[in-house]
Amino acid sequence: MRKPEASSPAALPSSPQGRSVSGRTAADIAPSAPLRYGDDPYVWACWLYYEDGLTQSEVADAMGVSRATVNTYLAEARDRGIINISLEPSRLAALTIADDLKRHFGLQDCLVVPSDESRPLIDRLGTAGALAMRTILQSGDRLAVAWGRTVMSVAERLAVSPLQSLKDMTVVQATGSMPPTIACTPDLCTAAFGRALLARCVNISAPAIVGSPELVKQLEDEPLIASAFAALANANRIIFGISSLRSNSTIHASGFFESVSLQHYLARGAVGVLAGRFIDERGAAVEGPLDARTIGIQLDVLASIRTRVAVAGGFDKVPAILALLRGGFANVLITDAATGRGILNADGVKATRPRGAAAPRAPIPVKMHVKKFLNRPDDAVEEMLEGALKAHERYLAPISGSRRALVARDGPRPGKVGLVIGGGAGHEPCFLGYVGRGLADAVAVGNIFSSPPPNPIVACALAASGGAGVLFAYGNYAGDVMNFEMASEIAVQRGVEVRTVLTTDDIASSSREDRDGRRGVAGNVLIFKVAGAACDLGWSLDMCEVATRKANASTYTMGVALEPCSLPQIRRPTFDLGPNEIEVGIGIHGEPGVARAQMQSSDSIVDKVMDAIFAEMPSSPGDRVAVLVNSFGATPWMELYIIYRRVEQRLAARGLVVETNWIGPYCTSLDMAGASITIMRLDDELSQLLRHPCDTAYFKVTA
Amino acid sequence: MAESAARHVVLMFERISEAIDAAQDRLSELDGVIGDADHGITMALGFHSVCAEFGRPGQHLSTASEVLDKAATTFLEAAGASTGPLYASAFRRASERLAGVERLDAAAVTAMLQGIAAGIGERGKAQRGDKTMLDAWLPAAEAGARAVACGLEGQAYWQEVIAAGEHGANATRSMVAMKGRAARAGQRSLGHIDPGAASTVIILQAMAEAMAEEVSTNPG
Repeated sequence: MRKPEASSPAALPSSPQGRSVSGRTAADIAPSAPLRYGDDPYVWACWLYYEDGLTQSEVADAMGVSRATVNTYLAEARDRGIINISLEPSRLAALTIADDLKRHFGLQDCLVVPSDESRPLIDRLGTAGALAMRTILQSGDRLAVAWGRTVMSVAERLAVSPLQSLKDMTVVQATGSMPPTIACTPDLCTAAFGRALLARCVNISAPAIVGSPELVKQLEDEPLIASAFAALANANRIIFGISSLRSNSTIHASGFFESVSLQHYLARGAVGVLAGRFIDERGAAVEGPLDARTIGIQLDVLASIRTRVAVAGGFDKVPAILALLRGGFANVLITDAATGRGILNADGVKATRPRGAAAPRAPIPVKMHVKKFLNRPDDAVEEMLEGALKAHERYLAPISGSRRALVARDGPRPGKVGLVIGGGAGHEPCFLGYVGRGLADAVAVGNIFSSPPPNPIVACALAASGGAGVLFAYGNYAGDVMNFEMASEIAVQRGVEVRTVLTTDDIASSSREDRDGRRGVAGNVLIFKVAGAACDLGWSLDMCEVATRKANASTYTMGVALEPCSLPQIRRPTFDLGPNEIEVGIGIHGEPGVARAQMQSSDSIVDKVMDAIFAEMPSSPGDRVAVLVNSFGATPWMELYIIYRRVEQRLAARGLVVETNWIGPYCTSLDMAGASITIMRLDDELSQLLRHPCDTAYFKVTA
Repeated sequence: MAESAARHVVLMFERISEAIDAAQDRLSELDGVIGDADHGITMALGFHSVCAEFGRPGQHLSTASEVLDKAATTFLEAAGASTGPLYASAFRRASERLAGVERLDAAAVTAMLQGIAAGIGERGKAQRGDKTMLDAWLPAAEAGARAVACGLEGQAYWQEVIAAGEHGANATRSMVAMKGRAARAGQRSLGHIDPGAASTVIILQAMAEAMAEEVSTNPG
């Protein structure tokens, strides 16, 4: 957190003869130092203290002055602005959120880790949880331990340096045991805490769920298990996570509830599971068939434990965390800034320090009506297609009279895998501009920003089929997935083998752990290009699919909007962007991105995007990449080149080589102003496929 | 009787179409906050096409089940997007539940609502609490079943159903979107009502209105 900035760069010393100052003894450097530091003892003291990391006593020795003098130097250096200590703003925000959470939910303590995409959330929560446990735990504590990935992560972080100063610790398993289908079962979590705290471990040697309520009674009467419950009743701290009931939750992988459908609990409004017990949005227990068959801590026992530490984060857990806070189950919360803010928003808490302008959102548009070249707005897609078909007659033909299903004139041929792409209109030249020899064989066109229905997609599949199977490649959106899936079922019934690759290149649309949940954006173009080349080379359906998946996995895109787009039928901005605001991580339908930011220089916007891409993309010097700088529609080439200039600088600084680049409007969002940057990391195969010749209306590669 | 039930369902689609038209801008605006602003447009388009299909000469649909089945096919191809498959599956399931039903009493209407909720659930693979239209349809269908159990009919029945749908839709404000485009907005979807759930309430109100009307049983 200490971040010194010397006011005068000229005063900054460089290491003499390439050797570090701190590596020498104080006596060595004392005589010569003042010369190198000029006459300014303040800069000298600051350098030794902040940069070289010496203690004040060591600085005193090095400078030949007293420790008190050093102290004065350092204090005055701050007053005089020689040194500026600045707190990372994101950490400050974290503190504010922690404060708000503490106040709103009456917590004893709250630790909020800053949002930081460079490390997985579970790791960060584990670190923060370990930090909290180090201050909370005292000798002689009886700590109850629930289970889950986050709880395990805390134990792992604690184990890095076990708390040897704590004596007479007891760790108690809070629920019965589970099959080892996951690496964070109650028994494993308890054991991990036991090791980290050098504690005595009390396990509940029974399954978490048993066959009948009678069996629960019998087991709880067993002396061994009864003693474990006695220890549990005696616990003075507990650490637990909370599971949402989402399909991606560990609860499903755990096998904890495999015998019972969660639907029963969902129907009764359950939003989360806490140490094996279900709670609703208000934090009340939800009764169900499992309760009487569960061996583990009861919610009222849990709530009576003195220190109750909940560790949890992630948007999907917001309702569950909110429920546990409302129910008073935790009095210490450890979460991350984004989740914390989400919890506060969901509970209607206004930020104490509203950032930016006025708190109430200005009602939409200053610009009420956007001018567009239109006849009847409802005819926009049809008329666009009419024009495009005339313009690109050489490349495209309607399939059985419909302009919503188009086939390449020189595309499908016997023995070749057919590539079908498609999606909503409004992204032109995506997708119809990429249909032709060496690229896609057919395209299904939906309404503006809307997936095409199944029929035209089926027509495309049949038209593209050359008997070797058909590959569907399209962006990962709920509507497209449903319609293409329905179409795929019908095509299969008609004897065409179909494989699907969903594009998920937008790194802003979901976390790294949820790569499959991301949306497909401008990187589509390069992924389609790879797929089309594989098909054109006569590769098998299997190989085409594998190559396309690899292309998708190697492609990273992030976009920034400067101005919103507007739909022809509405002709008003689809979202509200303040005069000085930009949307970072925007989707190609104007979906909100990851963050609102203030307008800034092009280089600093590009740097944000490139930092995000570099944080995800593995690379080493000498690696080759393809670059696509894409305009969302209204951003001109001039600005795209300014963007590309910085992109290239950043890539070069990493030693990455741009093998090919494309700059222009390749995948637009109507008239949105903004741009996206796509980087595809190449290997020999991807490079070969990108360079393979293709000839379409908007994308040509010549041999 | 079957003919009258069929006409009621046709009338129901007309009322829904009118109500969605009237609310189109508001729905698109709701969608603009967390999605891509096209919900109102897509819904209007889908229901327009369904009504146009019913109005086609030579179209003879004699049961409520047939009407719903035709609506499913038409809505799917007209709407596209995610709304197309979702409501198409909804009407398809509703059609199945109403097979052989001749009178649209509260029990039949409840079966239709349950079919709609089931179809949407299967197709969208969403769960309660995912901040989707299901969060309005499920409670509405459940309220319908309870109202039938209590012997409620007509206005009293619909009051229960609409209130449950409204409550469900409003509850989406405190949910984080887990499905569809809004899911990518993550926590920023908090505090905003889900547009699909909002349009569900409009549909329920239009259904109630249509069911309260008299229909002529004259052919033509």
